[in-house]
Amino acid sequence: MSNFLLHWFPNRVSLKGMAWGYSFYLGTISAVLFLILTVTGIILMFLYVPSVERAYWGIKDLDFAISFGWLLRRVHRVAAHLMVAVVFLHMFRVFLTGAYKAGEVVKSARPFNWVLGVILLVLTLLLSFTGYLLPWDQLAFWAITVGTSIAAAIPLVGEEIRQFLLGGTVIGQPTLIRFYVLHCVFLPVLLTGIAVWHMWRIRKDGGLAITEELRVEARSREPAPPRSSKTYSVLGIATGTTVQVSDPTTLDDTNSAPSTPFMTVRLLLVTLATVAFCVILSLIFSAPLEEAANPEVTPNPAKAPWYFLGLQELVGYSALVGGVVVPGVVILGLGLIPFLDTEQDGIGRWFTNASGKNWGIIGAVFGVASSSLCVASAVLFPLRDILSGIESQLFFDVFNPATLLLLLFVGFYFLVLRVSGSKRVAAIATFCGFITAFVLMTYIGTALRGPNWDFYWPWQAWPEHPITF
Amino acid sequence: MKNNETESRGAPSRRTFLQRLTSGVIGLGAVLGSWPMFRALVPNVLYEPPKRVRLGSPGTFQNGMTYLEEHRVFLLRDGNSYSAVSGVCSHLGCTVKFAPFEQSRQLTVRDHEFEALGEFHCPCHGSKFHGDGTNYSGPAPRPLQWHHLEVSPKDGSLVVDLALGVERDFKLVV
Repeated sequence: MSNFLLHWFPNRVSLKGMAWGYSFYLGTISAVLFLILTVTGIILMFLYVPSVERAYWGIKDLDFAISFGWLLRRVHRVAAHLMVAVVFLHMFRVFLTGAYKAGEVVKSARPFNWVLGVILLVLTLLLSFTGYLLPWDQLAFWAITVGTSIAAAIPLVGEEIRQFLLGGTVIGQPTLIRFYVLHCVFLPVLLTGIAVWHMWRIRKDGGLAITEELRVEARSREPAPPRSSKTYSVLGIATGTTVQVSDPTTLDDTNSAPSTPFMTVRLLLVTLATVAFCVILSLIFSAPLEEAANPEVTPNPAKAPWYFLGLQELVGYSALVGGVVVPGVVILGLGLIPFLDTEQDGIGRWFTNASGKNWGIIGAVFGVASSSLCVASAVLFPLRDILSGIESQLFFDVFNPATLLLLLFVGFYFLVLRVSGSKRVAAIATFCGFITAFVLMTYIGTALRGPNWDFYWPWQAWPEHPITF
Repeated sequence: MKNNETESRGAPSRRTFLQRLTSGVIGLGAVLGSWPMFRALVPNVLYEPPKRVRLGSPGTFQNGMTYLEEHRVFLLRDGNSYSAVSGVCSHLGCTVKFAPFEQSRQLTVRDHEFEALGEFHCPCHGSKFHGDGTNYSGPAPRPLQWHHLEVSPKDGSLVVDLALGVERDFKLVV
């Protein structure tokens, strides 16, 4: 056991990288949540039958007939929601501390590791989404109806993709078995592989990005004689030495500590706290189960999982722009961040510097303002009602609030770039805008959209029955 | 040295050639190997409910709009003429709800005059459709689909074809 731990972590870890307030251990928490999901998920696999006739009743049995079935289901659900949230927060932290930059002392592969992280985010969302269908209740059925129809909005091949996902033309047994295998085998295995790669890269890059500061310091110090060390070669395929070996002066007795016990104890604490938090939340909140899936009756309003509700709001303007263009641009944009922002200062510093922090606040305000404008224009000036003479769908796919929001963000990026003259600052401002816009849109989709997707303020009661006239 | 000489003439060295050959063979093998796996997941036979279904004798339906929930289709009867419009929203596939007017209205939508008994509302994203299925509000990109109706020669019952779309002025007179 100790042998394993000693090889898992480097000999010494920098104090700054280990500090609670730097990383908040969000990556560790995500990994622990995934572990909880794997363990509870395997037990649930013994108790669940992926058949249209039995799936819903299997979940009912979990809640009422199987000892602790309710607990396993609740912990699995709570951990899944938390994992989506924590993975997002982890991305926010990594971005805002500039931890995706390669640095100048040793060109690390952190930009590539950021791309792996974006892939992990997408996999996390897909895992959560595929798990959504399995209870086969009304919520599941209609969330998947909406979700797979978004895929159909892709030009030319959309309908083929939708039918491939469904395994037919309607949601049925082939869909359930597909989502089940994706959820239980394909996606978790893929995610495990990439997550291992992701964590191995952190080790290879010499620890968290804050180490870069220590490297810069080390460079200005009197160079210490290199320690005799070993050249690593994995099965003769990968050659070269690790960063630690070529850079022996970075971590010394003043700025680092042995990873065992200092690092391992912290990880153990985080693991325990995460497990305890999940169990406590599971004891407080029960996992909802609606009526059995009924393809004939759509609940009103029909809503996707919470992390897709911002997207559902945009899909409400245009399926093409909201469902395909915006998520595509966001994922592509996230993946490209390290290659667009090539400035190498302030690595490991929140917001880089004071100017970055100010622009971050401006960006956050911009995010709230632009998404409010987007929703307000959709609610107050529904274009299709105003321009009822226009029949062309292409027109409404081009001119709608989702396109407006996208253009506002692109314009904002270039405006900040011009005013501040810094790619990093422009990226910070845009990213902060993205965070607040995402949160606000998610809130609006969750709380302010009622029956028929009509807009309701929090103090307005929803009608008991949909409005008729 | 010999390698360099051949490189300079533009021909690949033995090492480069073997590298390319190996990756080519691996690539080809990966494509050939994954094709059957992918193709097996595209169904050739669908065990789904039939798309062409018997609805029952025309006389059993009341005048006006009847929702047949097991087929997600609205049947409109006006005396002895029948038409059927899909209840599947053209946006993302939710089932639309029929919101009847208190009194029927004479409407002209896109050069088509008809008597509207109400309109269709979608609960998912708020799309709205006129009584003739034309989308007029919300994100729905297309009108609701009208379906082909026929009378079964065997027992005289109405048969709707959910896979066969028709124009919105299609009417079956029995």
